[in-house]
Amino acid sequence: MRVIVKLFGGLNSGKDFKRTEEGDIIFESVESYSVGQLIDALSLNKKPFIVIHNGIILTHLDIKLKDGDEISLFPPIAGG
Amino acid sequence: MKILRVNMSEDTPMVKVEEIGSYEGLGGRGLTSAIVSKEVDPLCHPLSADNKLVIAPGLLGGTAAAMSGRLSVGCKSPLTGTIKEANAGGQAGQVMARLGYAAIVLEGKPKGDDIYKICINKDGVKVIKDNSLKMLPNYELVERMKGEFGEKIACISIGPAGEMKLAGASVAVTDMELRPTRHAGRGGVGAVMGSKGIKVIVLDDTGTTPRQPKDPEAFKEANKKFVMGLQKHPVTGQGLPAYGTNVLTNIINEVGAYPTYNFKEGRFAGARKISGEVQAELEKQRGGNPTHGCHRGCVIRCSGIYHDKDGHYLTKQPEYETVWALGGNCGIDDIDKIAYMDFLCDNFGVDTIEMGVTIGVAMEAGLIKWGDADGAIELLNEIGKGSYLGRIIGNGAAYTGRAFGVDRVPVVKGQALPAYDPRAVQGIGVTYATSTMGADHTAGYSIALNVLKTGGFVDPLKPEGQVDLSRNLQIATAFIDSTGMCIFIAFALLDQPETNSALVEMLNSFYGWNMTDKDVVEYGKKVLKFERDFNLKAGFTKEHDRLPKFFYREPIPPHNTVFMVKDEELDQLFNW
Ligand code: SF4
Repeated sequence: MRVIVKLFGGLNSGKDFKRTEEGDIIFESVESYSVGQLIDALSLNKKPFIVIHNGIILTHLDIKLKDGDEISLFPPIAGG
Repeated sequence: MKILRVNMSEDTPMVKVEEIGSYEGLGGRGLTSAIVSKEVDPLCHPLSADNKLVIAPGLLGGTAAAMSGRLSVGCKSPLTGTIKEANAGGQAGQVMARLGYAAIVLEGKPKGDDIYKICINKDGVKVIKDNSLKMLPNYELVERMKGEFGEKIACISIGPAGEMKLAGASVAVTDMELRPTRHAGRGGVGAVMGSKGIKVIVLDDTGTTPRQPKDPEAFKEANKKFVMGLQKHPVTGQGLPAYGTNVLTNIINEVGAYPTYNFKEGRFAGARKISGEVQAELEKQRGGNPTHGCHRGCVIRCSGIYHDKDGHYLTKQPEYETVWALGGNCGIDDIDKIAYMDFLCDNFGVDTIEMGVTIGVAMEAGLIKWGDADGAIELLNEIGKGSYLGRIIGNGAAYTGRAFGVDRVPVVKGQALPAYDPRAVQGIGVTYATSTMGADHTAGYSIALNVLKTGGFVDPLKPEGQVDLSRNLQIATAFIDSTGMCIFIAFALLDQPETNSALVEMLNSFYGWNMTDKDVVEYGKKVLKFERDFNLKAGFTKEHDRLPKFFYREPIPPHNTVFMVKDEELDQLFNW
């Protein structure tokens, strides 16, 4: 399974992952991961508040990830 | 507090200062909308002597309350034909309130084409003819006023667009550095100021003191709680100060709601290059500042100062809406060129949202190519020149669409849609459709709950619950806009009941009121009723509370959804 993880708004991972040209994390694993487990595995500097899975805002994190999925993570932010 | 009326119809402009009288208890948007709905003929031509321009600080303007410096500008709009309240930050709201004015009302219309400046200080009001100011852009105009009146002033002004009475013209307000960077942008309020022959209002509060509360101790305590609440909330205490409003670019793009190529797609490939994160980093590297208040007393400080590649001041930190309108919406991903366009808009005195959407429509018409930043800059420069093309562009998206035969024009009641596609965020579509102001995101900012999860979550892709959401937000916003508070306090209010109570307590202790949460709701409804009644008398019906047809027919990628909230549901918004 290969999942692209995009971090925004000052979120950083403490681990050394492979990256895309844009700097996104390439998360590869033979094991199955839920979104919540993936977030735990990233060792982020801050807890993400908004989690987007393939463009959809998640309200729970137990969704199982599939090969090719994209996850975007944000701390609490706003504007207008 | 007094109301200052300046009637421009007489040979010598007439100045009258009167008690607030029957408008007592109203401020900001509540006051501008009350005066316009009571005193302006809804069927009048917006540029005629019958229209009035009302400028009002909020209920807490000029006090020691944090965040209370917003200034409302109201009239019948030349862009929409509806009632209008556009509001701005900057210093003038506080200064005007400290001088004792609840509102300045510009009335009538001069017979000739002379232009005037109004000078207000603690000793009184002077209206001075000054044709040497004609067609000056805002930055040069403010420099002239500084030379004449010193550095301790605040200015409310129009650029050439306002003088030409273009429907996209803004009213500029100077910031803490005395630059004309804060704009009451929407609805062509600058054109109405231009129609009154007023180029600039110069305010000097030297020798005045902050307005005093009835119960100083309770007021001080409530203000302290309010500030603590704002600082504690992660959005108002951290996110907004660090990156400004443009931090939204990435998230709105990721959820597929970032209108791109004149609302054809929901994602823009160049979004990251123009995001708040990139912008804040550039500002730090170049000696600008990503964390800056637009007026004294702002503790959130979502604004900033943007320098060019050589480290010289270029403009204030462009807002999310501006970066989207002049950037992603037009396929432009060069942040420096977008910042330069922000400067041009401020200087000529035009609304950045209206101009970005207008340029998108011009691109749709084939005038220039998608992504052509230099072409877009040229179009804006045409406004400064006052050319025929510039006058078309400066009149906004609907006018430009008609001039060039474009049928996909994203406007409601003639006003350009802001930076969230209503097919991917259904709640904001309800606000765009039903707002008393034409398409306006701030009127009921559903993005807070549809995307940002502030105060809860309502699925943005489903039509259910969106009318209730928009209604509640529109009522709350009408109240906040009346207090003079920046609308960004709402992010903390939605999550923290104690911060909400602190705001109500500030009003109660200042005025000696006993306002409850229920009264807050009734206040918001009253303001909306002024506005709705005006619009009904101006000839607006429920058929005007709709989005353009293409939002119901063209699915937008990546979610391939259309706007799904039914007309009958939209018609329930004002049934409370
Ligand atoms: S939060 Fe931003 S817009 Fe609001 S008053 Fe402060 S600087 Fe101005």
